[in-house]
Amino acid sequence: MLKNYFKIAFRNLWKQKGYSALNIFGLAIGIACASLIFLWVQDEVSFDDYFANKADLYKIKTFLADKNSINTYDATSGLLAANLSADIPGVENSARSSVISQKLFSINEKNLNAKGNYVDPAFLDMFELKFLKGSPSTAFNQLYSVILTQNLANRIFGSTDNVIGKSVKINTEKEYVVSGIIEDLPDNMSFEFEWLLPFKVYEQENNWLEYWASIGVNTYAELEPKTDITAINKTLYNYISTKHKGSIMKMSLYPMSRWRLYDTFENGKEITGRIKYVKLFSLIAWIILIIACINFMNLSTARSQKRAGEVGIRKVLGAGKNRLIFQFMSESIITALIATLLAVLLIYISLPFFNILVEKELLVNFFDPLHLSSLLSITLLCGVISGIFPAYYLSSFKPVKVLKGLKIKEGSARWVRKGLVVAQFSVSVILIISTILIYQQIQHIKDRNLGFDKEHLVYASVNGNIQKNFDPIKNELLQSGFVDNVSMSTNTPLDKGSSAANFSWQGKNPENQVMITYEGVTPDYLKTMGISVKTGRDFYANTDADSTNIIVNQAFADVVGNKNIVGSTIQWENEPLTVVGVVNDFVYNNLYEKSSPLVLYASASGNYLNIRFKRNTDLANALPALKNIMAQNNPSYPFEYKFADEQFEKSFKTETLIGELAGIFAALAILISCLGLFGLAAYTAEQRTKEIGVRKILGASVQGLTASLSLDFLKLVGLSCIISFPFAWWIMDDWLQNYAYRINIDWWVFAIAGLAAVLIALLSVSYQAIKAAIANPVKSLRTE
Amino acid sequence: MIKIKDLEKYYATEDVKTIALNKLSFEVKEGEFVAVMGPSGCGKSTLLNILGLLDDPDGGSFLFNGTEVAGYNERKRANLRKHNLGFVFQSFNLIDELTVFENVELPLIYTGVKPAERKQRVEEVLEKMGIMHRRKHFPQQLSGGQQQRVAVARAVVNHPKLILADEPTGNLDSSNGNDVMDLLTELNSAGTTIIMVTHSEHDAKYSHRIIRMLDGQKVTENILSEFTH
Ligand SMILES: Nc1ncnc2c1ncn2[C@@H]1O[C@H](COP(=O)(O)OP(=O)(O)OP(=O)(O)O)[C@@H](O)[C@H]1O
Ligand SMILES: [Mg+2]
Repeated sequence: MLKNYFKIAFRNLWKQKGYSALNIFGLAIGIACASLIFLWVQDEVSFDDYFANKADLYKIKTFLADKNSINTYDATSGLLAANLSADIPGVENSARSSVISQKLFSINEKNLNAKGNYVDPAFLDMFELKFLKGSPSTAFNQLYSVILTQNLANRIFGSTDNVIGKSVKINTEKEYVVSGIIEDLPDNMSFEFEWLLPFKVYEQENNWLEYWASIGVNTYAELEPKTDITAINKTLYNYISTKHKGSIMKMSLYPMSRWRLYDTFENGKEITGRIKYVKLFSLIAWIILIIACINFMNLSTARSQKRAGEVGIRKVLGAGKNRLIFQFMSESIITALIATLLAVLLIYISLPFFNILVEKELLVNFFDPLHLSSLLSITLLCGVISGIFPAYYLSSFKPVKVLKGLKIKEGSARWVRKGLVVAQFSVSVILIISTILIYQQIQHIKDRNLGFDKEHLVYASVNGNIQKNFDPIKNELLQSGFVDNVSMSTNTPLDKGSSAANFSWQGKNPENQVMITYEGVTPDYLKTMGISVKTGRDFYANTDADSTNIIVNQAFADVVGNKNIVGSTIQWENEPLTVVGVVNDFVYNNLYEKSSPLVLYASASGNYLNIRFKRNTDLANALPALKNIMAQNNPSYPFEYKFADEQFEKSFKTETLIGELAGIFAALAILISCLGLFGLAAYTAEQRTKEIGVRKILGASVQGLTASLSLDFLKLVGLSCIISFPFAWWIMDDWLQNYAYRINIDWWVFAIAGLAAVLIALLSVSYQAIKAAIANPVKSLRTE
Repeated sequence: MIKIKDLEKYYATEDVKTIALNKLSFEVKEGEFVAVMGPSGCGKSTLLNILGLLDDPDGGSFLFNGTEVAGYNERKRANLRKHNLGFVFQSFNLIDELTVFENVELPLIYTGVKPAERKQRVEEVLEKMGIMHRRKHFPQQLSGGQQQRVAVARAVVNHPKLILADEPTGNLDSSNGNDVMDLLTELNSAGTTIIMVTHSEHDAKYSHRIIRMLDGQKVTENILSEFTH
């Protein structure tokens, strides 16, 4: 029975090679595209699955309200962890971790940088790391011990054998003994450390850890399985105030299962995080699949006239409706299966490129039961979605009618078909419009006048002797002929760190708790950055001369509302400071927003070294010279620098990815839709050969016929545009609301997208239309 | 075996109502070979479709082996059809995608016969029809006469009690037509009841009795040869 169906299905596919190829190719693209997206989704949703006890792991979130909003932090007091386990029932374990930082590892002249954290011993119990050498229970028995990942151990020692017990110098200061080697962490994990050091060492260097009011370390908790977290959260909420009278700090547990996809807070409330992209892309995957399935539906029902006779005969011979439905479904499922085989090939070919695009190292393995079963489910689903309507439609033909050779009245099927074509093109047009607007928005921000010059600007961390040797470094760089300016600052050119509400000035409304960002900079900072002074002056070359002076940005001046702010006094806590200059606003932190109020104060030190190359410098010569000067002045650290413009580009990673994916999805959607349209046009032309023949004999022109054949389809595409425009506008307007600095949606984007869809559709139908129109009418009439 | 009484069938289109069968009554005994004749449009095919349980009458009674079947639902009709009836059409109505063998096998599949038995029965009937050597061919590769043999083979493979033939020789030349008529006669001698619609007086002579119709009604009945059990 089944064999019979398969045989007939294959013969039918083979007999209609052209249509089958269109169906299979479209489905294969859809399945491959969806599979890649699902692979990405799987990677995202399986984040942190490395830990078997993931469900019991939490970090502590801190909430701090200021006048305007509630800020949310991962940071807690250093005192919290030990108290948690003692005070709160249900907390089985708790541990602290410092924020991730980079350290220099040195052994026999070899220096290399690696990232890691200081953690409590309990951290090793809670987060089950796979120890290849050593054991979690003893690894931190000694104070100056270090745990390395396999990869880092290999980089330092060249092997992982006999490494336990060896020592390595960290940050050129102290020798640490290797006490454990752990398996490398997978990419889809929230932690990124390559080394772990005992938190006790960190404690020795950071006495602020002893205060409840200072927050700066992460605290993690492991709960007893199935603990009621609402009860714990209730205790945690006001916990700090029981330890530290008057504190307004609030806390709550935040489960590991939400770290990756949800961890975005606004005003103390979780808002949609990365999960929004996971959902969006999953949705698009399904839409692309459905677009591909639509081709199958449409081509099957369009060809129904051909199958009608078969249905009639089978019914006369005793086939029931269910049996026929089953037969037609098996045809669509077989088509889907063949498409899947092709899709597997496409997946293998495109995976490396997809990995580059999404910056992951995804792997497919069709022997993996999850991958195999997902692929088969997609196949089956595609088969069912594409087959169910044609199967019901075809199997409902009345044998008497079809055997009489009556043209079956298509009725519903024709409308369904038209509707589906409109749906396909609507989605395609929405995707085209979205792609254009996303790119416009990215470009808009890239082209934005940042208020500083990001080109030819390099920055590096201040470490080792850089601070001490800053003056010789600066002089040598300036003398090299490559460099215009050198300075140091608390933060990188693109980011500013700290802000406070405790600035005041004459006439300030005490109710107005505006947050002011502040940044320490050495002389020449403004020149290095290319920030222009609007009124007043830059800092003097001698920092001491400006010790009670500040420079503010225009946004600050606007907040103060004093036209002649230069020369006026600003109180910072209790310290009076004189404004000596106002700079034009420049963008920092959030590249999509207006700059917020900023205070620059003169400082002799900084965490970052900023170097401005001359405009016409040949970097191929300048960079080695720069490295050379740094190596002489700071020999123990490898000099690692970043270009400001490159970092700037990187901050659009998500937007760029979305833009690229939207573009790819748009291209695929339109490609698949056009394959379907091409098939439908071919079929219509075939059906109408006789009519066209008669018309030609009666004197119709080829152009007229081509136009009339094409027009039917173009009308549908036109309708798709009308439907999709408002949707596209609504979706993209909503997306753009995320950006304060955003483009206006121009009408011509819609015009271009619509025109593109019409042109592409025209291309795919006109071939068939022209072919039908120029065919010899005598021939076509004889074939009837 | 078949007894129809006051059978009615109407076709209604937007503007006209056609009476295809107008209170038609007759009886066909088991083992009889009956020819139905009449001008084009008099309702012959309509009648055959109703007798073949492919269509529903709008009025009257239709007893099949003593059971009233007018008003049966599609499932019951399909069931009765596949076990008792065989069809031969003017336009052969073979499935193009299936080979000769598979076309003939189809009714057996639908009645749930086991594969081994199917093979045996299909080969038997193909042998009888003299088209065994063509069993792997597709319908398009056969002549009209050969195609109609296949259609007859398919109609009889399930050993139906009644064969309904609608102008079985309509698309054939006289020699191929005679072959098909010989086949039907042979089947009739072996006990199968046959009702055949035809325009050919020549073909009608193969039957026991000719029912002549006009405008959906029976006008005469000619008994050609005495039919006895
Ligand atoms: N589906 C239909 N819709 C409307 N009218 C129909 C339909 N089928 C048949 N008729 C009409 O019913 C009448 C009987 O048709 P039928 O096909 O039974 O004639 P026939 O005797 O078989 O003719 P022919 O010898 O040409 O095959 C005709 O007038 C025909 O036009
Ligand atoms: Mg007829």
